[in-house]
Amino acid sequence: MGSTMNLLIGLAMGLNLLALGSGRLSAIIRATAVQGVVLGVMPLLLEYTFDWMVALVALVTVAVKGFVIPSLLRRAMRAAKIQREEEPLIGFVPSLLLGAGGTIAAIAGARMLPLLPEHAGTLLVPGSMASILTGLILLIGRVKAISQVCGYLILENGIYLFGLLLIHSTPLLVESGILLDLTVGVFVIGIIVDRIQRAFDSLDTRKLTVLRE
Amino acid sequence: MTAGPLILVAAGGTLAGVLSGRFSPRIWLASTVAGVSAALAASVWVLAGGAVWDWHSAFRVGGEPLHLRLDAISSLFMALLSVVGGAGAVYSLEYWPDSAHPRSARGGRAWWSVLVMSVGGVLLSCNGLHFLIAWELLTISSYFLITRDRQRSEVRAAGWLYLGASHAGTLSLFAYFTALAVSTGGWELGPIHGHPELAPLFWLALLGFGVKAGLFPLHIWLPSAHANAPSHVSAIMSGVTIKVGIYGLVRFTGWMPVPQGAGWVVAVLGVSSAVLGVAFALAQHDLKRLLAYHSVENIGIILIGLGFALVAAEHGNAAWGLLALAGGLMHVWNHGLFKSLLFLGAGSVLHATGTREMSRLGGLWRAMPWTAGLFALGAAAISGLPPLNGFVSEWLVFLGLFDAVNVPGNVSLASVPALVLLGMTGALALACFAKVCGVVFLGRARSAAAGHAHESGRLMLGPMIALASCCVAVGLAPAVFFLAVSRAAAEWNPAWATVGGPLSIATIGYANLSVVVVGAVAVSYLWRRAGGTGLRRGLTWDCGYAAPTARMQYTGGSFAGIINEWFAWIIRPTRHENMPEGPFPVRAGFDEHSPETVLEHVVEPVGRMVIKASSLARRLQHGRLQAYLLYIVAGLAGLAALVLLGGGR
Repeated sequence: MGSTMNLLIGLAMGLNLLALGSGRLSAIIRATAVQGVVLGVMPLLLEYTFDWMVALVALVTVAVKGFVIPSLLRRAMRAAKIQREEEPLIGFVPSLLLGAGGTIAAIAGARMLPLLPEHAGTLLVPGSMASILTGLILLIGRVKAISQVCGYLILENGIYLFGLLLIHSTPLLVESGILLDLTVGVFVIGIIVDRIQRAFDSLDTRKLTVLRE
Repeated sequence: MTAGPLILVAAGGTLAGVLSGRFSPRIWLASTVAGVSAALAASVWVLAGGAVWDWHSAFRVGGEPLHLRLDAISSLFMALLSVVGGAGAVYSLEYWPDSAHPRSARGGRAWWSVLVMSVGGVLLSCNGLHFLIAWELLTISSYFLITRDRQRSEVRAAGWLYLGASHAGTLSLFAYFTALAVSTGGWELGPIHGHPELAPLFWLALLGFGVKAGLFPLHIWLPSAHANAPSHVSAIMSGVTIKVGIYGLVRFTGWMPVPQGAGWVVAVLGVSSAVLGVAFALAQHDLKRLLAYHSVENIGIILIGLGFALVAAEHGNAAWGLLALAGGLMHVWNHGLFKSLLFLGAGSVLHATGTREMSRLGGLWRAMPWTAGLFALGAAAISGLPPLNGFVSEWLVFLGLFDAVNVPGNVSLASVPALVLLGMTGALALACFAKVCGVVFLGRARSAAAGHAHESGRLMLGPMIALASCCVAVGLAPAVFFLAVSRAAAEWNPAWATVGGPLSIATIGYANLSVVVVGAVAVSYLWRRAGGTGLRRGLTWDCGYAAPTARMQYTGGSFAGIINEWFAWIIRPTRHENMPEGPFPVRAGFDEHSPETVLEHVVEPVGRMVIKASSLARRLQHGRLQAYLLYIVAGLAGLAALVLLGGGR
């Protein structure tokens, strides 16, 4: 079981790098969606006995992260008529290097942490930290609102992975609550993106600095 | 009987003044005069040996029960407040009338009453919280009085500077009273004994009260505020408001423990205020600004008295400390009286000519004989000349310092230079007022405005005459006033209650009286002789020049030039010289300006640096979401590093 899980987390980490290195918005959305699906099935692998509640939540997670949110984002993208992240604050290659460095640092750093023995062998903690770092790099380094939403989703995926450590003590209800928040958040951002586009003829969040005071 | 009913009348009268000031000048004047008369009666009652008025009330203000107390120290200041508050109120009706200042005169009257009431509140309250409330009210009412003429930008600038400086001082007082309340467990104020750990709080009090009193490095707000306020406001601010700072210092050095060496610091600050205050005064061209610097000087003289009294208390309550303190406290009165007189006189000149610039005045004694005479009397008093009041109090301080010379050790080593510098201060003050009186009142008018001057009316001259008579009274009957002041000194340090005054205090009174008699006889003899032989008017110092004009007269700048050179190291005057060249010079000019050194060379550069650093920090706030996230990540990374490196234990 551990090796399957590590494989999936490794896949998620690879998807992180894909999201970082890609300039096309559809590629980032796809990477985020696939990552959502990959991570969504993880609770099923962690549980030794089949629990229909866990299965239901996993199903909903996969549906929301893998299909609902990406379709919302694609619709926003079409509405705003943009395809690419054109002038990122942190370039694609530097982002990629930062992300790779962050992933290595996460793996190295996780060894220093006092983890429980059953988690020590898995990639859960490094994977979660790498995803959080990736999400932050996307949030900081990209200027298009849609890329930032993807950064936010990847960040959330990292937190979700970390939450799996506590799956025995945290009710999945909490996780489903977070999921609901996320959906509503993305829904709202989808609407805002449309509005920003109409008002400013651009999706560049750097232009939203008037409200700083 | 106690002073209670009188205080009630005083409070009622002042409150009626606050309410009626906007509507009716007559009712305002009547209630203000009634209020200050009652306050004066109450303070005279206490100073004459009546019972201390101590009133506890169940009524709560800000959650603290009201506790008022009128003892000898507070009535000393209360008496001064009453005299100057009443005199200034009468004066303002003619000086700042509704007809000339339709809007600002109304507000000015109301704020005047608020000021009088808040000073009274500071003097009476025995609760740290109420003290701070009254103190803040005092600052705000002074601000609104200073900025009566706020169409002019320099008035607004002076007001802001005053407000800023005062609040810096108030901040220090907040720290002082809060620390006191924390360590004593309540806001109630009173004598505290056996708490030596409270002694370091004295420095906070020195800073807070020092700003208000305007002692030397903290006086930055004082010259511009006093120069730009209406003259009756300058009079009460210089006469009374800055004395409230002295009241705070006297009050809390009496009640609270004082750290070792505090007396020396106060004395050194006093000496530097005295000498530098008069040095800066000599360099001024603006009549009211010059008087303002003399306030710094006189605060210095008062602080020399207080400082040496603190030193004496540290050295076993030596009797010379009583003389120094009594001299200082009496100088509070005297300076309040003659400085108000001088400011009212300067106001009279300003009212008649429309300028404070001394190089535009001259020859005013012909047009304004009363103002000139009363101003000259105030000038003689502030210069410490007998037979007037300034002489008496400075003489008491001198007497204390002379006795201190006999004490073996540090005290005598320190009192000798203090004596020399105090003597020098008096001499410089005399030089300065010789300059003022000579340039403003003697000679010929230097401008058309000065040539068309007219004497002020009764409402302006009356208060000046009243203040001048007070100055003469203190000079002629010093023993009476010494008795009152020594009661305050005994309140400050009970060990001095049994120490008698110097025998010579009565002698000084007789000597002053004989100076008056001899002077009067000499003047009447000379007057009669001059009337008999006839006087011939001629030019002075025309140096063979055939057609001198009024502009060729000695100016204030040239009069004080030599002395200004001695102090150029601190005054740092800026000069624009355009010297005449060749046998037939076409154009020449000379212009000298004396800046407020501490403000322009210390406070402003530091302020600019702070603003620069702050605006650098402000660049972090630019509105870019991405960078804000970066700040959060950096902060989190920093915290994580702190935890990992062992800070999390």
